[in-house]
Amino acid sequence: MGAEVAQIGAFTAVAAHALCLAGLAAAHSLAGRGALVSDPAHALRLLVVCEAPLVIVVFSLLRRDHKRCSFLKAAARGLLGLPIGAFLNAFGAIVLGAPVGTKYWMATTYWSSLMSLFTFVPAACVFGASKVDWQNVLSHSIYCTSSNVVDYMISAPSHGAVIGAWLGAWPMPLDWERPWQEWPICVTYGAIAGHVIGILVSLILVVAHKIRVRVKAD
Amino acid sequence: MGRGALYPSIRFPRNAALLPMGRGCSFRPGLSRLRGLKWAYSSWALGYRSSTRPVTRMSSGPGRVFLLLGSPCRSDTHSGGAEKTNTEPAAAIATADRGREAMGAAVAGWAVAAVVLQVAGLSLFLYGFFPVKPTLPGFSGAESYRAPSCGPVDGGEGPALPPDQLRSLYRELSEVPHVYDRLVLMVIDGLPAEFVLGKGGKPPTKEMMESMPYTQSLLAGCRAVGYHAKAVPPTVTMPRLKAMVSGAIGGFLDVALNFNTQAFLDDNLLDQLHTIGYKLVMLGDETWIKLFPTLFYRQDGVSSFYVKDTVEVDFNVSRHLESELAAKDWDALILHYLGLDHVGHIGGRQSNLMTPKLKEMDDVIRRIHTAATSIQDNSHRTLLVVVSDHGMTEVGNHGGSSYEETDSLALFIGHSVESTYCSPYDQKEALQVDLAPTLALLFGIPIPKNNIGVLLPELFNSLTDDQKLRTLQLNSWQIFRLLQEQRPAFCSEDCVDSKDDFRVDMIPESIEEKLCRLLSKAFASHRSSLHQDSDFRSAEAAGFFGTAVDSYSGFLRHASEWLSHRATDKPLYLLASAISLMVISCFSLAGIISCIFKGKSHIKAEHHSVLDLDKHWHLDEVFILMGILLYVASLGSSSFVEEEQYIWHFLTSTLFLIFLIKTVQSMLKESSSTVVHRSETKTFHKNNSSYLASYKLSPGQQDGCRLYTVLVVLVAGRILRAWYQGGINWVHFPDISKILTQSDSSIVKSLQSISVLVVVVLYSISLMLLRTRRVFLIGLWLSHLSCGLLVMLHIWKSQVDSSVPVNHSTTSIAQIFYGIASISVTCTVLLAPWTFPTHSEEAEATSSSSSNPEKANGFDHSVFLTGVTYTMFWCLLQLLLQQPINAVPVLLILLQIISSVIYFSLEKPLHRQWVQVVAMQFLGMTGHFGLGNTNSLASIDVAGAFIGISSYSTVLSGVLMFIITYGSPLLLYLGMVVHMSVRDSTDISTGQHFSWSSVLSRMIALPCLLPLLINSIALTSYTIVLLLMRNHLFVWSVFSPKYLYVCAATICTYAGVLVIAVTGAYTCTVFSFRTRKRNHRDRSVDQVGDGLRS
Repeated sequence: MGAEVAQIGAFTAVAAHALCLAGLAAAHSLAGRGALVSDPAHALRLLVVCEAPLVIVVFSLLRRDHKRCSFLKAAARGLLGLPIGAFLNAFGAIVLGAPVGTKYWMATTYWSSLMSLFTFVPAACVFGASKVDWQNVLSHSIYCTSSNVVDYMISAPSHGAVIGAWLGAWPMPLDWERPWQEWPICVTYGAIAGHVIGILVSLILVVAHKIRVRVKAD
Repeated sequence: MGRGALYPSIRFPRNAALLPMGRGCSFRPGLSRLRGLKWAYSSWALGYRSSTRPVTRMSSGPGRVFLLLGSPCRSDTHSGGAEKTNTEPAAAIATADRGREAMGAAVAGWAVAAVVLQVAGLSLFLYGFFPVKPTLPGFSGAESYRAPSCGPVDGGEGPALPPDQLRSLYRELSEVPHVYDRLVLMVIDGLPAEFVLGKGGKPPTKEMMESMPYTQSLLAGCRAVGYHAKAVPPTVTMPRLKAMVSGAIGGFLDVALNFNTQAFLDDNLLDQLHTIGYKLVMLGDETWIKLFPTLFYRQDGVSSFYVKDTVEVDFNVSRHLESELAAKDWDALILHYLGLDHVGHIGGRQSNLMTPKLKEMDDVIRRIHTAATSIQDNSHRTLLVVVSDHGMTEVGNHGGSSYEETDSLALFIGHSVESTYCSPYDQKEALQVDLAPTLALLFGIPIPKNNIGVLLPELFNSLTDDQKLRTLQLNSWQIFRLLQEQRPAFCSEDCVDSKDDFRVDMIPESIEEKLCRLLSKAFASHRSSLHQDSDFRSAEAAGFFGTAVDSYSGFLRHASEWLSHRATDKPLYLLASAISLMVISCFSLAGIISCIFKGKSHIKAEHHSVLDLDKHWHLDEVFILMGILLYVASLGSSSFVEEEQYIWHFLTSTLFLIFLIKTVQSMLKESSSTVVHRSETKTFHKNNSSYLASYKLSPGQQDGCRLYTVLVVLVAGRILRAWYQGGINWVHFPDISKILTQSDSSIVKSLQSISVLVVVVLYSISLMLLRTRRVFLIGLWLSHLSCGLLVMLHIWKSQVDSSVPVNHSTTSIAQIFYGIASISVTCTVLLAPWTFPTHSEEAEATSSSSSNPEKANGFDHSVFLTGVTYTMFWCLLQLLLQQPINAVPVLLILLQIISSVIYFSLEKPLHRQWVQVVAMQFLGMTGHFGLGNTNSLASIDVAGAFIGISSYSTVLSGVLMFIITYGSPLLLYLGMVVHMSVRDSTDISTGQHFSWSSVLSRMIALPCLLPLLINSIALTSYTIVLLLMRNHLFVWSVFSPKYLYVCAATICTYAGVLVIAVTGAYTCTVFSFRTRKRNHRDRSVDQVGDGLRS
């Protein structure tokens, strides 16, 4: 499947990720220091608002099947994927013990939208309804077998975000009495940290892949 | 119900959270107070990410983890060879059989050996870590003034005398005049002796001297004497108060196993004073009132709950001071000031608040002393004792065993300590327990029986030499009695009445003999000094006196040391050997399991198994290993131990989310590739031994079913989690159980009834799945129905008269339930293997090749029936015993079991068998906390333990308590029996030849061994954690109760595994017996078939 898809360069990958990170950074500077702790819903909303257009645009440009699928269609898929992914993430979080209640549901909504932007939306933009690709993204074998740069760019950051959020939840039951132990603050920190690490890993993978391909070509 | 603050309130901040607390009360005092320390220990959590690394490394080489472990693989090579040969038809079959049998026997043998090792290690550790020292029961009486006799010490309980007579009797017998009439015991919580007495022979700092001017003037004027009274860890208030008044050092188990009462029942000073008619007044910390609920003539307790308050707590004590000092009606006044401890917790030793607080305390001492000295008649001689229960560290914490924490104060102010010359700042060492014998002798009461303290001689300066010797003698007699109790060897004649004395030159061989010699020397010289003529006070008499005092003091010092070491010392070599035993057992279990895995992989390689599981490590498997590692790591942090329910819920939910992802993945795969379909439908027909599959689900439906079952498990788990929110710290969080308790009780009752109904219906459905209408099944169904009705009746009866705690009709209902349920379960276990045919009819009709898997059919049916009966009757029992609020959680756990069993039984399992077993066990642990259990002993439901018991019986109610507490894990072990019967049995029937022993070993080996292994890992690692944390602040409040839970969980695992193993083994034996009999019959009838085969 890799042959027919136009491969993108390492520089494009770096630029795409840099754009996404720039969105995060912009939201962070807009919200100000410590906003996530003092008013998590507000800060998360800013993050989502800044990140959503960037992610949708960037990954719609990277869509698979450039012939059959226009940019607008990919963007629409991303827009549709946002609430679906948010629902799935919220389900996961609540099942894992996120608090349910009127006090939390705004924060939960924004948090899950952000997680959706990290995980579901890029895949929705790029893959659409291709079941094989989705299955690949879900499994870890993508790191060993994939020949496509975009696969790395989607899977590593999204896996990183999920694992980071999962690890970020560990300090929550502790009795340190820190304000950041509240839902969803430390989970958000974990998710963003994991996402960033995932981006770095994906870039390394992309570069390694490029080198491998070049060696093979030589 | 039984969920009050039952835990003995060692009065320190953690337990404050147990106290009822107003909703929305925003500050939790205990938490901020100890943050410094908690940070240090909770930093475990920060190291988590690094701990994932070894896991991923492990995952790179499948099976390497197990291969590393030394393992009893001898049997495996045997069976491996056997497996290779078993494709050859006739001759090899016998060897293969024998090989399998040998392997099964070896596995069982090794497992039993490992369990025995574990039990041995555990009991060694318990013996070493929680020493149960023999104590003398009862109270000291007049017999304590007589010399200890050999032989059995009979109590000699004389007629109870009225207080006045008792007092005069004691004073007559003691031959020592009482030195004081009134006692003021002033406890300043957390005051280090260093503040008053300095350290190392130097006076305290100038600042401290200036903060307590009056006390220092008393010390300098030689009108007071102060000691550094060493306290024994745990340096928290309640145990220290007990030590002061009883002179004994209690063990942990004494505290922990005292569920019902916090009252202090051992012999102690206050009770002795009360018996001789002293009137006691208590002002201050309410711990005293908890310890002695009925003793005080007047009392005003203050709570140590509001740690941030340093003013009010002390004002509430001091406000009574004026009137109490003016009053003449008390004989002993106890003041307990908490403020200084609170100051320490807020700001440490150097806090700004410390100086004013010390000034305040000094002022109290001044007021008391002035009041006491103003009354100068001979019948109101007052002794003021200023003590602290423990010290504090630089930052103000306490609980551990550092010098700063154990350095507590004992300051005596009274006429008997006054002297003309003194050096007040010499480092005078004493033990905190020395307070008890000193005060007892000063007030003319018997020394408490279990006292290990030694009297402080400076307090007896006003007595004559003979009287001083007598006090030493009384103390020695008391300690000697205690020694006799601990070492019967002390009761030898030459020890008490030794004629040959003064053999000082001989080097004593053992501590016993040394003590013996010292004592006999003391007695002898005491006698000699008494026999001297009173008007002939020569140098000789003085010499005898000196020798006697020296020998007595030597004896007392050594004996006290020996006794206290016995109470507190942890024999490290014993603990280390116990731990090594547990580690060996853990590794051997792991080795057995790795052998089984290797055996399995051999078989799979042989038969090219169609299972969709390759040799790679899967996400769920890696996660389980990592999760166990994370859990083990979390045991080292006290905060995680307190909130263990979060960890279990988190790990279990994550595991099932991974199952969900795998399900979705397989759905995607299935719909993307249609080629698989055909082969699947082919295999579909073959293994219809699984019940769900016999309902002919199409692959799409199967996937849907899989999805729904996982979702049910997840959602039920989330509701369970919401049922009980908090462990120990977050107890006040709102949750469903609290809402329901506050709402109308009829809602709870109807929820209970619905749960009973659902359980009965589920049982009927599962019986219908068997598709046979035998009388036996109908009888079973009827008995279950009647049991359900009984439970329902019990629920409604107990609602009607909830005011009457003991009701005879409910008791008899419960007893009838126990009877019917036990009879039905026993009948099922015994009869089920006989009711199902060994061959099903279809099997005989179809080709002979497919008859082998069919053989397992009857067997599976029988195990299924037994398992379902176990599970459903257990559920009814739980619904009967558990708190009403827990009915829905029990039902939810049952739903989780059923869903996961269905999920695992579907064809083409996505997970290996060990993953399935571990997932079931995880569910069990999550359910354990979902039923409201925590790692504090306070959450044990004591009320339920008396349902259906007409007369008090410790054993029966203990068993019921265990059943209630470990309801969920045991339920999962019983569910494992069902799981055994319905799981996809392709790997059982892959062998060409079918043998019962191989079925047995394949079927029950993993469900038995994996829980044992996981429990063993938890037990071993937690034992090591406990040993490492033995000086931790929370060792008695958090880690030790958790250890009791871990031990109980071990027992629970043994019970569950025993049930699985016995059920499997019995059913297998019956079936193999019946098959053999049938084969015999067949052979005699059907000669043709025989001829064909040969």
